[in-house]
Amino acid sequence: MNDVALLDSEQAEGGVQDLIRDLVLGPRIALLPLYDLERTDLAAFRGLLVGLHADQRYLSSRRAQLEGFLAQGGTIVVCGHVGHSFLAELNPFAPIPNYRVEDLEVNREAAHPVWEGVEMEHLSRRRGVAGFYGRGSNLPPPGARAINSLGPGRHPVDFECRPAVGGRLLVHAGADLWGYHGSGSTADRIMPQLLDWITAPMEAW
Amino acid sequence: MLALLEGGTYFHKEAIEGERLTGRFDRTIYAPELDAAALAGCDALIVADRIHPAVLRRKRPLLLSYLAAGGTLIVLGENRAQDWAPGVAWEFRPTNFWWWLEKGADPGHRIVAPGHDIFHHVGMGELVWHYHGLLTPPPGATSLVEITPEGDPHGRGGSILYDHRNVGGGPGRMIVTTLDPFYHHGSFFMPAASRFLGKLLDWTDEAFRASR
Repeated sequence: MNDVALLDSEQAEGGVQDLIRDLVLGPRIALLPLYDLERTDLAAFRGLLVGLHADQRYLSSRRAQLEGFLAQGGTIVVCGHVGHSFLAELNPFAPIPNYRVEDLEVNREAAHPVWEGVEMEHLSRRRGVAGFYGRGSNLPPPGARAINSLGPGRHPVDFECRPAVGGRLLVHAGADLWGYHGSGSTADRIMPQLLDWITAPMEAW
Repeated sequence: MLALLEGGTYFHKEAIEGERLTGRFDRTIYAPELDAAALAGCDALIVADRIHPAVLRRKRPLLLSYLAAGGTLIVLGENRAQDWAPGVAWEFRPTNFWWWLEKGADPGHRIVAPGHDIFHHVGMGELVWHYHGLLTPPPGATSLVEITPEGDPHGRGGSILYDHRNVGGGPGRMIVTTLDPFYHHGSFFMPAASRFLGKLLDWTDEAFRASR
């Protein structure tokens, strides 16, 4: 059985194809065509991965199904910016106004199993270029834990929260976390650790 | 009358509703809800980049009817247009986000039809950023912007923007590009892509919104 379902939007960019072909991680992931969500029983999965290319208007129409999945203890991981708030805890994205390079440095705010052993420098820059990791915040709801932030303004770029309906929600306000798979840096740790975290029993909050 | 087809993503929403671009579309259509009524009266339909290709394949009969009736489709990148749009031949190229790190680097972009009216607005400053693939314009199409063989990782070169009038001998027209400016503009990443989108819309204002 697959541990997680990844909603697929048929985009070349985002790392989905590399992840699915991976001999170790690929078999843990079911690739679920986005618009098949309404015909899918999510009870078969522990986690649901939603990438930046997702049609969030469609996800808004599936809110009851997503909340049902959370209520049974499921984990939803959302990457990208929030445009359409398809869950109660998802607030619209706010870019850092007129950001400069120093505003894009990634800071660790709290230890989290998904980012354990990942060096912030490997998130802040790719080939010396900043900005790939994030450029603003999906504003965390009250009670959320900020995990990583950006720049001296400490704009939260990653947070975890416990939705009111149940389950767990992990939100990354940037490109898909699975895009770091195969990066050749400590960022390679993100995907195996994300899958392990999703499938481990939920920790006390 | 200019309409935009959008796919419900955050970056489409930001491009449509954000402060930076306002009032550039007479009508916006959510792709899964596209129907013949939505296309009525449209002189041109921009197909925003990175719409879920399954939706575009499903809407292919409507888009073909629109072309056959004399409509203009402006198809942006990363939509797998080769799977649903007539005449489109597209080849993947790996994205080079890094060309500008080398001083004086030439990523190979060339304007090859400078007399085209799109270049009243769009210039090299808007065109030279990364691209995701190369097109082979079909017979009858006019290539507007090409990548030289030296700028192409595969050494062959090709088009990244063309204008195809009288598609299939009919009255329809297609402008096709592999550039994906909605994604980058809506993601607040890549200022040159935002400039390209703004200038592209200056051209569509002129070409398709005669009342303005």
